[in-house]
Amino acid sequence: MSFVKELSKGIIKDNPIFILVLGMCPTLAVTTSVINALGMGFAATFVLLCSNIIISLIKNITPSKIRIPVYIVVIASFVSIVDMVMAAYLPGLHKSLGLFIPLIVVNCIILGRAEAFASKNNVLLSIADAIGMGLGFTLSLSVIATIREILGAGTWLGIKITPLTYDPMLVAILAPGAFITLGFLMALMNMLKEKK
Amino acid sequence: MKYYIKLSLILLIFCAVASGILAYINTLTAPVIAQRKAKEEIATREALIPNANFTQAQTADGASYFVASNPETQEILGYTFIAAEIGYSSTVQTMVGVDKDFKVLGIKIIDQAETPGLGANCTNDNFTSQYAGMTIENLYVDKDGGAVIALSGATITSRCITNSIRNRIQAVKSDISAGGIQ
Repeated sequence: MSFVKELSKGIIKDNPIFILVLGMCPTLAVTTSVINALGMGFAATFVLLCSNIIISLIKNITPSKIRIPVYIVVIASFVSIVDMVMAAYLPGLHKSLGLFIPLIVVNCIILGRAEAFASKNNVLLSIADAIGMGLGFTLSLSVIATIREILGAGTWLGIKITPLTYDPMLVAILAPGAFITLGFLMALMNMLKEKK
Repeated sequence: MKYYIKLSLILLIFCAVASGILAYINTLTAPVIAQRKAKEEIATREALIPNANFTQAQTADGASYFVASNPETQEILGYTFIAAEIGYSSTVQTMVGVDKDFKVLGIKIIDQAETPGLGANCTNDNFTSQYAGMTIENLYVDKDGGAVIALSGATITSRCITNSIRNRIQAVKSDISAGGIQ
């Protein structure tokens, strides 16, 4: 029962982007196109899953005074592994995400979940938490990227969907567009929450 | 005191284990990555000048380029090289193919990290295809009085690509007229 609860909380109730407001740097940077958002979401989910598993396994042998450096070593190692494996076996994805993979290290969702959840719970629940948070992150990124890509480039997943007469609103895929879109979506989430 | 030494030792063990794992994975993936990069470069070269033999050569400044020749008649078909220059926010690397009279056959942007939506559009075909047929005389962006139509909102990127190509063509050209590989 609690497995399902931990899994589903990341999607709406504790959504990492709109509710916890974690990992803003990659959120703003990668959401210029849906394909980048999906790639970043899945890469971050994978790192989150691996780091949550390891951290919940080593929680009893990690002295609390040095837990943060230990978590960072674990996370950075997984990020490097993802980077190397992706470059070797998925070069296409690595080309479009190459810049953002190192950003996963500083993604506070991963460190945040390690500190707030994995270091206090068992492996099974940590897995559920990682998958839920990862999915929530991926979904939120995709929503932001969908809005920005359609407005800013007139495409979705690279396919032209707006009529030819539509002149893409360039600002949407530049940095200000990220902040504006994020702001509107957060307001919407808060409005829905208040109504309940 | 003893407590702090213990903490440092524990941290050291964690780091040592992590670096050991990373080193192992690096030895597995590094050759695959290098191989794939080399393959990609060969594929791009062959797309620019098809059905040719490539031999490596070097210009006076140490950069390498490739001479493409007909595999049967040994006649020189053209040259390929990588032009690189700092654009707006990254170094833009362009693979260029020219014919034996140094007229551009085609270009391909192989590496860039320019602004998405502006400079990053330099990888689009409708920007790169306009370079075909150009020579050093008109390889300037339109603002500088040349024939290259710059990307809207990304003149710096367009200018950097155009200038890097022109400079490399000149370097290769002077190398060959100075008695390089003929």
